[in-house]
Parts: sequence; C-alpha cells; structure tokens
Amino acid sequence: MIRIAAVGDLHYGVDTRNLLRPGFEHLAERADVLLLAGDLTRCGDPAEAQVLAEEIRDLPIPRVAVLGNHDYHADQEDRVRGILEEAGVRVLEGESIVLEIDHARLGIAGSKGFGGGFTGACGSDFGEPEMKAFVGHTKKVADRLENALRRLDTDLKVALLHYAPVEQTLVGERLEIYPFLGSYLLAEAVDRAGADLVFHGHAHHGIERGMTPGGIPVRNVAQPVIRHAYNVYSLEPKLERDRVLAAS
Amino acid sequence: METPDDYLTEDLRDRLIHDPRVYEQDLTIRIDQRKLTVGGNVTTAERQQAITDAARELLPGYEIANETTVVPSSEPDSEERLR
Repeated sequence: MIRIAAVGDLHYGVDTRNLLRPGFEHLAERADVLLLAGDLTRCGDPAEAQVLAEEIRDLPIPRVAVLGNHDYHADQEDRVRGILEEAGVRVLEGESIVLEIDHARLGIAGSKGFGGGFTGACGSDFGEPEMKAFVGHTKKVADRLENALRRLDTDLKVALLHYAPVEQTLVGERLEIYPFLGSYLLAEAVDRAGADLVFHGHAHHGIERGMTPGGIPVRNVAQPVIRHAYNVYSLEPKLERDRVLAAS
Repeated sequence: METPDDYLTEDLRDRLIHDPRVYEQDLTIRIDQRKLTVGGNVTTAERQQAITDAARELLPGYEIANETTVVPSSEPDSEERLR
C-alpha cells in the first residue's frame, strides 16, 4: 500500500512561519510521500518560498511539488523553484520522478497546468495573439504532462497539477470563472497517457472529489477545500494487487 | 458622480488582490448601501485582520463586514483508500 499525502494552496508568506509545523508533526508516520499542488507562496516572493522550505526541509519522506499561479506573480519562479529544490523538494513542470516505496515504484508527473475552460464552454487559440497565447499555453503544458506520464513505466502513476482538469471538483465556484480555474485538455492528457490518480488545487471554493471522463479519480487538495494540513490517499500498487489476485 | 457599486466592487477586489497585506484572489466582495461585505478563506487571523484594515483604508466611511474564515491546518482525521 502506498500512502500519498497531498495539499495545495498553502500561500506561505513571511508571516506564516511554523504555520504547518504542528500539522506535519506525524506526517511521516501517516504517509510515504508529500505532494504539494501549487500556490505554495502568496505572491512568488523568494522570501516566502524560504519560509516554506525551512518548514519542510527536515521531513523524512520525499516531497514533490508543482508551482501555481501565485508562485509566478513576482516573475521569480526560477528562484522559488531553486529554494524549494535546495530544501529537498522536487519541483516538476512537464517532468516526472520515480520513487521506490515499499518495493513498488511510484511515478509522479507534474505540471502547473493552466486555464481555458471545459468541454462545451472553452476558449480556442483563434483570433488575437493574446487569445492564441492563452489557449496555446494550456495546449503546451497539457502536451508536456501527457509526455511526462507516458514516459513513466511504474506500478502507480500520479498526475500532480495546480489547475483543475475537470469541472466536478469546481462545484461551489462561480460558473463564470471556470475557464480561469482549469482546462479539459489536462484531463484529456491524463486519460490518453493513463494514470491512477490526479491531484490539483487552485479551486478554493470547489469540492474534493471528481473523476476524469476516462474514469481516473481526481482530488482537489486545495487547503481551503480539505481544511487540514494535508489529506492522505492510499492505493495498492498494481503489481502487489496482481500478485494477490494470482495467489487466490 | 459617485462610482456605481458594481465598478466599486471590482475596483476594490483588484486593489485587494494587489495589496501586499492581502494578495488574495479568492475573496468575494459585495457592496450595498455603503456597506462592504468580504467573504472567502484566509490562512491566518492576522491576514483576516489585514483585509479589514486594507478595506477601511480603501473605502473610508463604509461599514466593513469581514466574513472571511481562517482555514484550519490540523492533521487529517482519516485517510481515503482508493483501491
């Protein structure tokens, strides 16, 4: 059994030192890996990233993250990423990582993702350069996510995003802002490449549970949604499950 | 001419998003009869107070109702087994 702790939208600032330290106290006993689903800082200030880095530097389990839109605001996302990686956090953008946990291989592909909307009500890369850039960016990051997932040949595959891949986890948000909260292109990428579970954040007023059209579970782990320091999701790796089935 | 409440609402929301004390995109703003109501989630009680302080500066003379909630950050009670 692999236990994945996940949370997003921590919005760390220089005023939140030790905010999650009590909540993380027993994390290593409850989970094998911690995933951070973006918006780790308030405005992408490296000083904010440093506060979070110190908070999670000594956690004795692997830590994997994607950045979110807030982490880009100060145009210093490379420094934010560098600070987190220096603290032992692997930050993914169109990339993947493989972790060996309890004799099983967990593959994580990550991307910030982007907006654009959902089937029947989404933008197209048509018209002004700004519109082409907006939707074009989503297409680009969705392609990268798909490729990163395809490269994984692991017992479990997880997609880690900031923006939402499905509408279901946005229930509670105003319909008018759905195109700024995510894109179906992200779900399509996951369904094409295959995965066991998808995490995202960004939708603070949404709900936790959804599913891609292809049947892959989606969990919105924005902290205002889960209302804990993290939530834990456990999955049995395919190999272990297959062995049990074969034995019976 | 006094700014209509619709424009004032969005102007205030935009100012709060960019205010270094707040930097919060997630707030719901309502202005009615010179009363401002702010909702949404915040990380700490200090940030909650900062919203009230910033709103008072930006809309002097308005009644401010800060209905934001501080998000708990305790350990989870259970785990979800997916399969």
